[in-house]
Amino acid sequence: MSDEYDNNKSYQAQSSEVLDGSAGSINPDMDYVRPAEIPEQDLYHAHSFIEKWIFCQDAKVIGVQYFLTAVFTGIVGLILSWLMRLQLGFPELAGFMTAEHYYQFVTMHGMIMVVYFLTALFLGGFGNYLIPLMVGARDMVFPYVNMLSFWMFFVAVAVLMASFFVPGGPTGAGWTLYPPQTILEGTPGSGTGILLMLISLSLFVIGFTMGGLNYMITILQARTRGMTLMRMPLTVWGIFTATVLAMLAFPALLVSAIMMTLDKVLQTSFFMPTILKAGEVLEYGGGSPILFQHLFWFFGHPEVYIVALPAFGIVSDLISVHARKNIFGYRMMVWAIVGIGGLSFFVWAHHMYVSGMNPWFGFFFATTTLIIAVPTAMKVYNWILTLWRGNIRINTVMLWCLGFIVTFVNGGITGIFLGNVSVDVPLSDTYFVVAHFHMVMGIAPLMVIMGAVYHWFPLVAGKMLSETLGKWHFWITFLGAYSIYFPMHYLGFIGVPRRYFEMYDSPYMTSTVGMNEFISVAAFIVGAAQFILVFNIIKTLKTGKKAEQNPWKANSLEWYTSTVPPEHGNFGERLPVVHRWPYDFSVPGAKDDFIPQTTAPSEVANTEVEKT
Amino acid sequence: MSLLKKIFGTLTEKPWEASQAAIDSTHAGKTFEISNQMSAVIIIFGVSTTLFSLIFTGYLYSLPPEQDTTFILKTNLLWINTLVLILVTIFFNRISKDLKNGVTNTIKRNLIYVGALSYIFLFLQLALWYQLMKSGNFVSTNTYFSSYYFFTALHGIHLLGGLYFWGKVSSKIFKLDEKDYNKEEKSINALSLYWFFLFIVWLVFFTIMFAYNDTVIEFCKSLIA
Repeated sequence: MSDEYDNNKSYQAQSSEVLDGSAGSINPDMDYVRPAEIPEQDLYHAHSFIEKWIFCQDAKVIGVQYFLTAVFTGIVGLILSWLMRLQLGFPELAGFMTAEHYYQFVTMHGMIMVVYFLTALFLGGFGNYLIPLMVGARDMVFPYVNMLSFWMFFVAVAVLMASFFVPGGPTGAGWTLYPPQTILEGTPGSGTGILLMLISLSLFVIGFTMGGLNYMITILQARTRGMTLMRMPLTVWGIFTATVLAMLAFPALLVSAIMMTLDKVLQTSFFMPTILKAGEVLEYGGGSPILFQHLFWFFGHPEVYIVALPAFGIVSDLISVHARKNIFGYRMMVWAIVGIGGLSFFVWAHHMYVSGMNPWFGFFFATTTLIIAVPTAMKVYNWILTLWRGNIRINTVMLWCLGFIVTFVNGGITGIFLGNVSVDVPLSDTYFVVAHFHMVMGIAPLMVIMGAVYHWFPLVAGKMLSETLGKWHFWITFLGAYSIYFPMHYLGFIGVPRRYFEMYDSPYMTSTVGMNEFISVAAFIVGAAQFILVFNIIKTLKTGKKAEQNPWKANSLEWYTSTVPPEHGNFGERLPVVHRWPYDFSVPGAKDDFIPQTTAPSEVANTEVEKT
Repeated sequence: MSLLKKIFGTLTEKPWEASQAAIDSTHAGKTFEISNQMSAVIIIFGVSTTLFSLIFTGYLYSLPPEQDTTFILKTNLLWINTLVLILVTIFFNRISKDLKNGVTNTIKRNLIYVGALSYIFLFLQLALWYQLMKSGNFVSTNTYFSSYYFFTALHGIHLLGGLYFWGKVSSKIFKLDEKDYNKEEKSINALSLYWFFLFIVWLVFFTIMFAYNDTVIEFCKSLIA
């Protein structure tokens, strides 16, 4: 495809990542870029509606498919949370709901939101749409495998949703699926329900591996000329590191899902100890339920960062663009992302302090857990220092970013409490834990998703979302979320246990009735407020203002495509050439307050980039 | 060492400085000088290593001492299967080397050997399963055999995945003239590495199953005593 490519030329690619060799010398020509030496990708162009919109190989369409499917699961999860809050706040109105139903809703809400909504949306949705655009590639390196990845995810979602309609309903074992009770009679959905959940999880992991392969290789091996790793936007760094984490953590989920399936179907005893039931010894024996907990949390804790790291990356870029300032401490931000990613594999057992572990084991994991707060705090400081003396635009995107910082700090600080064994043990299984993880990995990443939707919608659809509706959406969500989760911390402190269908007649339980009603009303309002975005999108698509090519005056490559929205192949005849990092905002001496990554040095010769 | 140097070298760059920008502009777009296919195999290598490591860990974690773990010490098909897998790895390695050296007349024949031996390996694995079941050792008999069946099934599925791509590459090779075989060199090298990986995983499995049994544990205990 490229007329610059010479087939006979040998590979001489020198990157800045290669420290030795000729690349280290500075060329006297300040605009010099290496001629294209890597052959252009042959793209499969769709020939029919089905190939273009259903079984499509274009990463952008796959990204939108992931996004819509994940949002569908998110809405299901939201409805389940409403039902749970109805029972907790107004049990007299929830007469149709049994305890079994409640446990099933709790379980499905948790699993859907963590795996099928947040993970799929960040990596499958934003990853597919943004990676090729931001690194200057025409598509993912293996588009066909990428398409298979989405359809595997789609089937996984279909299997999961099918479990609502089988005899016994979906599993009600809690989202952690702890054996032995998960697969034993007496637990809701311990028949077909749990099997469908395990099959769905296995399909999800296999599908994600196909996608993750694409994200990693596209980022490492298919960037455009001049795009070194350290010139990549932090969004790409976040998605990349999260993908590496997922590729190493999801096998634990797959292994445990398969083993538990075998325990259920073939009566193996990977996780099943000797069990007495009604005086009779079951066929199981010799297995370890604690082994499952280790495997689950070896996946489960990195999963927190699989969600958080893309959010960290995206919010960094949004803050920089909308504060018109380069990101403070870019290198430190990259180190923090990589550092958090590495450390996240050494903290899993802080979820198991009450499992009867050796105290020294708990001591080790408490220490590692507190250490991980260091790079995380560095990121928070850097976001604030990016805002410091910035030319901040208080638009909808910025509001979501600011909301994220505050919420993440809140959730993070309660995480430091819970990381300590002595504090965690009395708070275990109370609403304090529920409030903590919803703030830190529910609401905080959700705020980034919303900010990202308002930021990139003009690129995806070519139209501007309504700012007024966006601000209403933000303020109701922000204030509402705090109305839900601040009181929930208090409930935890006074000892209200989580996962209880009803609160019984003990004095401290009855004292929480009013608070539970308040939380439930807030939850109904916050949930309903999310449909403002749906309305905004539909209204904008019908009658919205047309977006200009680069409405936010950003520097990264996705805004410099040949058309908006970008076509298949992204960049027209020639791929862009990168001359700088994506954070040259408000550079002294420059004509505009932004310098795109594609601007050659000679075009902005009299500028001096701020040191960071 | 050079990989670490490369990683840390990259992470300490200052992309906003003019001197670094001049260096960065010479960057061609790749991080490593390997093909996309090879990158894919290396990543699958990483993912599968985690997968198999967790199974091994689970196995070592949950094996109760009273279970019968001595069958592997007896002469059985497992040893022959290991030999077959060694042969497959050798033949695939030879194909890679021949392609590199421009020796093309042996490629087709060795590709057939690779496929045939791989299928023989799978067949013998099934035969071993049959033998075990016939002797009353089923997947639910104890956690030792549960792990054995689980591991070998996963290993077999990995091999079947490899055979699918072997089929695709072989069909292309059989349609090409000998002089054009090098068009498939990247795919063959990647597949060769994949088979080598499967062999390594098998060896680790074989060693652990062999070493971690009652007899060896008793022997170790006696040494300590």
